[in-house]
Amino acid sequence: MTATPIANETVETTAPFKRRERFDAFPYLLVAPILFLLLAVTFYPALYAVYLALTDAHMIRLARAQFIGLGNFIRIWNDPLFFDSLWRTLRWDVVVVGFELAIALPIALFLNLNFRGRGFVRAAVVVPYIIPPAVAALIWVYMFDGSFGVVNDILVRIGVLEKYHSFLSEPLASFAVTAGAMVWAGQPLMAIILLAGLQAIPAELYEAAKVDGATAWQRFRYITLPQLLPSILFICLLRTIWMSNHIDMIFVMTRGGPGFNNYTEAVYSFMLTQRFEIGYSSAVAVVLAVILMTASAFYVRHLSRSVLAP
Amino acid sequence: MNASITRQFGILLGAALILSYSLGPVLWTAIASITPEVRPDPSKPWMSIRHVEYFPAEPTLDNYAHLFENLPFGNYFRNSVIVATGTMIVALLVGSLGAYAFARFRFKGRAPLLATMLMAYMIPSVVLLVPLLVIFRTYGLNNTFYGLILAESTNTAPFVLLLMINYFATLPKELEDAAAVDGASRLQTLFLVVLPMSIPGLVAGGLFAFIATWNNFLFAFLFTTTEATKTLPVIMRLFALGEPAVWGVSASGAMITTLPVALLFLLFQRMMISGLSAGAVKN
Repeated sequence: MTATPIANETVETTAPFKRRERFDAFPYLLVAPILFLLLAVTFYPALYAVYLALTDAHMIRLARAQFIGLGNFIRIWNDPLFFDSLWRTLRWDVVVVGFELAIALPIALFLNLNFRGRGFVRAAVVVPYIIPPAVAALIWVYMFDGSFGVVNDILVRIGVLEKYHSFLSEPLASFAVTAGAMVWAGQPLMAIILLAGLQAIPAELYEAAKVDGATAWQRFRYITLPQLLPSILFICLLRTIWMSNHIDMIFVMTRGGPGFNNYTEAVYSFMLTQRFEIGYSSAVAVVLAVILMTASAFYVRHLSRSVLAP
Repeated sequence: MNASITRQFGILLGAALILSYSLGPVLWTAIASITPEVRPDPSKPWMSIRHVEYFPAEPTLDNYAHLFENLPFGNYFRNSVIVATGTMIVALLVGSLGAYAFARFRFKGRAPLLATMLMAYMIPSVVLLVPLLVIFRTYGLNNTFYGLILAESTNTAPFVLLLMINYFATLPKELEDAAAVDGASRLQTLFLVVLPMSIPGLVAGGLFAFIATWNNFLFAFLFTTTEATKTLPVIMRLFALGEPAVWGVSASGAMITTLPVALLFLLFQRMMISGLSAGAVKN
């Protein structure tokens, strides 16, 4: 974080003698409540997680937790499940964010057209995003149910499948269905942000291109895509961070199974807490957080710049 | 002429595809919720045979009645309302106070403080789960609404802060100056002049805080394990595990859980869509 721009501004706008004026507590009083709240429920717990990661804490015998130094991190280094989960996190991120983009971009382009009933279609697009994720998970579990799932019914009717399949108990199918549910619930945010990006492209660019005789594809390739690229990169980065943290959809739909098939790093850490191994669970979470905070720092810098810049 | 017909057809096809993708699963759930259950043995109401039925011959509201008569679904609903409303109030209060400081005052440590708070927003929930659980146990906040409201505030308060900084920045400063000239204290100015002018921003922030809390599963799952405090998303997971094993009842539960956020969305549609396009609403 660079604090220079603001410091400069103060120097420029106030006379020197005014700067040495009495200390003003008012802004600090305003900031105090949210600062204390975040200290209590975010920063203190985050530090506590680092401490737990250095112990062999177990939920049942928490008081007898022993400090074991880097023991948990050595265990991570020798834990095949950790590295498998890392790879599955990557698979989950790439597939979910990739398909979200592949679905959201055409939707955004479509919503950018002028037609009657556009407001209605746009509202309908957002619906999967405002539905509680646990409800979305429930809906998809039942759509793909092995005995009365509507997807089985349709696939059997049109002759793709011969008999009903229990998708969620097959390794690859359960991943596909869970990712499908996630994409369905997540893509509206991307569509809306890309739509805002599209609407910010100046119309003159398209008019000039039309005058020059550019085809629709050329206009998309040489105007729309480059102009939209910053929005695309921004939302893909954000979604990748969020998807690496995501637990709800995977946990509700599959509990990470069958086997460890749907264990991402976040789900792995969460399942460890369900087994009360909170020391090791915290270590896994801390490693994941460190990886993600690097990416987040980038995003936070962008955010705080855009907020502080007048 | 021909081109315009092709275009019309393309629009229709596109709209049909998008609508069936976005609304299809919801529509299917709505249909399932009014499809009567086939119970082979009346003495075992939890057993049900079910087939895929697209147009229920005898639509019924029995499944909805079952939720409230045989399950404490009304309690779960009330719990969700309490937690979402409580979080909304906390987030609005601390978020808008802090935002006013960042938007209107140039004080020492302003930039690092703001960066710190935004960083709080980016700390993954996974890291906080276990420590919060332990801390809540120590202070007796486990299975209380206070605990869950505090936990939910980690996500919603920084979001409201960010939103309100942007909102305050758009307000003209003259009214505040005038109030100061008239002898109002700065706190009076904030509560009697600035906040009343900021109602659209506060509504948007409150809306997002309410919906985010209503929808959040993870904290609710960990911090409410008693019947008296469980919220709706926790019940949705039980349904997904096949707990009542009656899809019609689960489907009607899903519809009721979605209803409040769907209504809020319909009422404040434009505001919410522009809020979403501003980005950064944690899912």
